[in-house]
Amino acid sequence: MSIAFPSLEFFKALQQRTKDEVVAFEKLGVCDTTFGVRVGDELYRIAFEIYECTEVDECDDPAPLDFVLSAPVELWREMFQSVVENAGADAEHTINSLTHVGDIMKIEYEDPEGHDCFYRFMATIQAFLDEAKHLDVDLS
Amino acid sequence: MAYIAPKDFSQDAGLIAEVMRVMGGDLDLAWMKDHPHPVAARPRQPRRGLTLDDINQDPNYGPQVIPEIVRHNFSMAPRGAVLPEGLPSLGYRVNRKSDVWADTATVLFEESKSRRWAPARNVPWQALDAVTHSPDEAQAIHQICTGLISISLVAADVPSRWVWLMNQEFHEIKYWMCAQMFDASRLAEAFRKRALYGKGSLGKDSRELGEFLKMVIDSETYPLASASLNLLLFSFVQALGRHYEYLSSNAADTYLGTRLVQDASRFVAYGVDHIRSFVGARPAELEVVNEHLDLVENGLIGYFGSRELLEPLIVLSGGFEPVADFYRKAVGEYFERCAAAGLGAREKRSPLPSFLKLLES
Repeated sequence: MSIAFPSLEFFKALQQRTKDEVVAFEKLGVCDTTFGVRVGDELYRIAFEIYECTEVDECDDPAPLDFVLSAPVELWREMFQSVVENAGADAEHTINSLTHVGDIMKIEYEDPEGHDCFYRFMATIQAFLDEAKHLDVDLS
Repeated sequence: MAYIAPKDFSQDAGLIAEVMRVMGGDLDLAWMKDHPHPVAARPRQPRRGLTLDDINQDPNYGPQVIPEIVRHNFSMAPRGAVLPEGLPSLGYRVNRKSDVWADTATVLFEESKSRRWAPARNVPWQALDAVTHSPDEAQAIHQICTGLISISLVAADVPSRWVWLMNQEFHEIKYWMCAQMFDASRLAEAFRKRALYGKGSLGKDSRELGEFLKMVIDSETYPLASASLNLLLFSFVQALGRHYEYLSSNAADTYLGTRLVQDASRFVAYGVDHIRSFVGARPAELEVVNEHLDLVENGLIGYFGSRELLEPLIVLSGGFEPVADFYRKAVGEYFERCAAAGLGAREKRSPLPSFLKLLES
């Protein structure tokens, strides 16, 4: 049965993938950050500790988060469509490309050091999102 | 000529007599009795392994025991060891904790090793075989790589100029600086390989980049060198990594850009924490750091405006506006970090905003 996007179930499925792909995520190295993914009006809190995603939940308050990746649901769908079709985001749909020039996807933050966690752990965060390639996800 | 110790050990009758007594079974085992502070260090998170922070929990071995000015140990003895009389001074010149310290250095050191990568095998080089860059674009990439190699080599040089002058009590910072040297060497290696892969070449070095890097490397004190290298130069390198990844059209360049960003970000993280600790402990130094950055930012403007950087960026970005956007973002994020480091609103005194306005006009 397909997992709907956006949904808490979808992000929990990505969380489980970091446990299933333990070798790949250990190879990327330690990743200690708690960040947000804002899909339209919905905000998901995603916590990484050591090598894996340890917590995923819905939240209202972005203040404790290091940073929030924020975009309309249509852009997230487009990004995950690229992930599914290319077995990982193509060059135009990496989170760096989407956030770098033109602010297609916005990075919200209050603390510049929290913001820099995005850059320090970008490879792991991209790998986390790329795990959608293994899910039966409903992007309609 | 090597250092000449005050005693000729090969002719020292006292030493020879001691050796003979020990060989005859007269062991006094004084070194075995001198264990004033036994500890039981264990990994607090076994999956993370035994970290520097784990073994620093005991106040007799952790950094909390370091005084602001180290006067008790100029030898090679590790912090927490028993110091016998007569240890030689190794001539350390950087002996103030606030000159070097950042609490995050231990985490960044562990992170550097954990997030290691090997350019020879981890970069998917074969992805470059299918790339359809025009000759101009290919040369522009080689040109960007050439600048990154120069920057990375200097980023290895700067810590090397200071690490041997630092007191051994600051060993966590020295470990971290060695990790920086290795990280910088790997970046130089990776971008040299990128430039020369297939039908590659190096590009033309830049006089303006050279002037900028000379300003960084010639910083008179370690805090000024750290502000120049970690806070300023590597804010730019991190942004350049983001732009490199943004411009990539293949898995190899995406990988290289992402790793450049992550490795540069550790330099930045240390720089923010170090300078914040430094000016927090010694507020009188705040203006000294700001005056130094006024000068070194001028060097960055030179590199921003150099044809060896600006033109390949325009060729690869498809015009000037994405480059201006990249410069604005890089400078804006740098100013945010300066504020977080306790340097105040540098945008009000820095020459960088005027340069950005010139670009917009």
